[in-house]
Amino acid sequence: MTATASPETQHPPQLRPPTPPDWREGRVMGWITTLDHKRIGILYIVTSLVFFLLAGLMALLMRTQLATPDAAFMTRDAYNQLFTMHGTAMIFLVVVPIWAGFANYLVPLMIGARDMAFPRLNAMSYWLFLLSGIVFFASFFAEHGAARAGWYSYPPLSIQSFGNGQDLWILSLHILTISSLAGAINFLVTIHNMRTPGMTWMRLPLFVWSIEVYAALLVAVLPALTAGLTLLLLDRMRLTSFFVAAEGGDPILYQHVFWFFGHPEVYIIILPAFGVISEVLPVFSRKPIFGYKAIAFSTVAIGFLSMLVWAHHMYTVGLPLWLQGFFMVSSMVVAVPTGVKIFNWVATTWRGNLIFDTPMLYAIGFLVVFTIGGLSGIFIAAFPFDWYAHDTYFIVAHMHYVLFGGAIFALFAALHYWWPKLFGRMLDERLGKVQFWTTFVGFNLAFFPQHMLGLLGMPRRVYTYEDEPLWTEYNLVSTIGSYLMGLGVLLFVVNALRTRRRGPRAGNDPWLADTLEWYATSPPPPHNFDRVPYVTSARPLRDLRRRLAERNGGRV
Amino acid sequence: MPPPVRPLAALSAAVLVALASAAAALAQGTRGGFAPLEPQSTGAERIDDLYWFLVAITTFVLLLVMVPLLVFVVRFRSRGRPRTVEGPQIRGNTAYEIAWTLVPVALVALTVGFTIYKVPGIVDPSPGEEQTVVRVEGRQFYWQFEYENGVIAIDRLRLPVGRTTLLRLTAPDGDVIHSFWAPALMGKQDTIPGQLTRLRIEPTREGTYRLFCGEFCGIQHTAMRGEVEVLSQQEFEQWLEQERRTQEEQPISLGGAIWTGVCAKCHDPELDLGPPLEGNPILNDPRAVELVVRRGRGAMPGVGQRWSEEQMEALQVFLETTLAPRREEDGDDGDG
Repeated sequence: MTATASPETQHPPQLRPPTPPDWREGRVMGWITTLDHKRIGILYIVTSLVFFLLAGLMALLMRTQLATPDAAFMTRDAYNQLFTMHGTAMIFLVVVPIWAGFANYLVPLMIGARDMAFPRLNAMSYWLFLLSGIVFFASFFAEHGAARAGWYSYPPLSIQSFGNGQDLWILSLHILTISSLAGAINFLVTIHNMRTPGMTWMRLPLFVWSIEVYAALLVAVLPALTAGLTLLLLDRMRLTSFFVAAEGGDPILYQHVFWFFGHPEVYIIILPAFGVISEVLPVFSRKPIFGYKAIAFSTVAIGFLSMLVWAHHMYTVGLPLWLQGFFMVSSMVVAVPTGVKIFNWVATTWRGNLIFDTPMLYAIGFLVVFTIGGLSGIFIAAFPFDWYAHDTYFIVAHMHYVLFGGAIFALFAALHYWWPKLFGRMLDERLGKVQFWTTFVGFNLAFFPQHMLGLLGMPRRVYTYEDEPLWTEYNLVSTIGSYLMGLGVLLFVVNALRTRRRGPRAGNDPWLADTLEWYATSPPPPHNFDRVPYVTSARPLRDLRRRLAERNGGRV
Repeated sequence: MPPPVRPLAALSAAVLVALASAAAALAQGTRGGFAPLEPQSTGAERIDDLYWFLVAITTFVLLLVMVPLLVFVVRFRSRGRPRTVEGPQIRGNTAYEIAWTLVPVALVALTVGFTIYKVPGIVDPSPGEEQTVVRVEGRQFYWQFEYENGVIAIDRLRLPVGRTTLLRLTAPDGDVIHSFWAPALMGKQDTIPGQLTRLRIEPTREGTYRLFCGEFCGIQHTAMRGEVEVLSQQEFEQWLEQERRTQEEQPISLGGAIWTGVCAKCHDPELDLGPPLEGNPILNDPRAVELVVRRGRGAMPGVGQRWSEEQMEALQVFLETTLAPRREEDGDDGDG
């Protein structure tokens, strides 16, 4: 730390010989060759959104098939491919990388840095992610079609599966794990080393805290996925028999390896969403976050606990009862730090000046639906009830309440909140509100009845069903809801395209926010900041506004 | 007037409508999907108890979060105050935060305690009693049940009422993972190649209940459905004895059951999955049939791996008498 720095502003500490952020000029070449974390972040976000539309379309096709009993809208095989690819794409190619995109864009800005620690590695992460997505979606055109063994691809079914679809699925995830691992290490190094003077750990924006844990978890558990997939590939090539019972292998071993990765993955998806909510709620409540430390530490606690709960996905494989009991306890204990967060968020709104712009609507909507999703998680953590609910639509409902209601609601909050920073223009507020209500109503119509379907005994992953009492009604409601959600997503696309050129200019800080990214121009210049204010609290921008107001005699 | 109030009114109206329709649905026998199906066994009843306990706990927590949230959202909405107006700068409150850490801890402890208290009665409803034992094999894409006296049943499990039956579940080594699930009777138990798992069921009421495969197992996962028929103890014993005699004396009856439960799920001419078999020349070559059935071919799984000689024979008899091309044009042996 330089002793000569004025307390007011500070040069960014990483003044290396400038790397040209785009080493080729031009509209297209500039983007292809860019090393600028903001451009890479936007590439990540836009690519993930395109994948989101594709995977969402798959969901709508499936819901169309399930709208009526005994439907023949598509074949069994097409349906099996669709649910496999929908799940895999949403988890691996949409939610995880889109947080990588936001983190890419925001982390250096939020900590007052010039760029990520390793800009070239950063670019490599993005291009590998794109490659993995291309391999993934191209596998639909492989002989016999795409993978069709479910997003967790349990052997022996995934070993038995015909054609190259399953191999391409493995290949694409292998590429993706390299990309994610490189990205995660980059985030860790950046957050640990490149915080601007004054930004201590206890002044770090909560979104950055969540990315710290997100990245640490990725580094901890991605190797398990890579290992599991490699063993699966070897088994498929008939070179080994790790999971082949006839030759002394154990199909359950794969499940342990997969879920040791797979459950932390859920938190890898949801922790950045928590981070977004922790940024949005205070700004639109005009208050500081309630219990900063509790929220930061509960993020770390959730990250740690998430590695101890994996076998709650495996209650029906016949584990010893004491082991199921252990995983029940560890899974339910996650509810404690999560509860702390939720109560602190609710308390943040207490006596605030609640401004219901679209990001705030999504944050409140998140609190509602995520709480429901968390509570249905308590049901299935209790293993005897899970013996009933496992592999039914109850699980499908729970998981979408957590992943769509959690991650995607937070994603829309994030998109509406940071859009002005990303593109310099405001989104249309009215359209945003319509979009929120369409999505909120559609989401609950689509997924709440699925709890009932599960309790009525409808297994998941069936391509059609017979006309059992109430199955038809709930399925139809669910399909109508899913179309509404589709409309909601479409409205966002319309909003984004319409305001691209015509939206009002945002200015640096349209929301009167708290964190450093709003100190830069919108969009920020390639080097982010000319000067960075010395950070004295977790809300440097508000401090700055107050100091300015004092200087101007009370005017803001 | 700022907008948030009107959507709130709309939302509460929607909730009211949902509750009303829920109440209407509850009045029907299915419990409207707001609870597990009416339990028909001791274990299922206890799972049902656990469900209602969880409903109570989670409803309490839901209200604990939603009521304050709704109150705050309405009460502290901006009402046109400018963005520059800040709320009180409260950074936290240790006492409150400790309270809402301890409340979840207590609720978790309570839930874990109640679950553990219920487990033994679910896993083994009447310990020490004499039990009927049935071997259950999950296979692509049918259920095979083998009773102690050698009787084989496909897709239809018969159980005595009021007595515990021990199901010993597995899948052949070359098969995939399935999951045995009769919702009204019990939770799921996976059938896993190379492993033996167990499930005990003590049915409380006679009747016929649906049986599903819970774990996705391939192209005909959806068709892997069956029934569990709960009979009175006397009827059950009679059926078991009579079925043993029938299978010994007229193997074609078992063969027919195998055809419907195993072969027809893909080879039914109305499906476009397996090639239709009626009049197929391969049926005249029992050795070829046996090879294909045991080992599978192309996309066809080895549905008959580890079948007994008798079981294979039963299917062969059925195929020869009903579907095989007639060698003599005027054999006139009728068509099954």
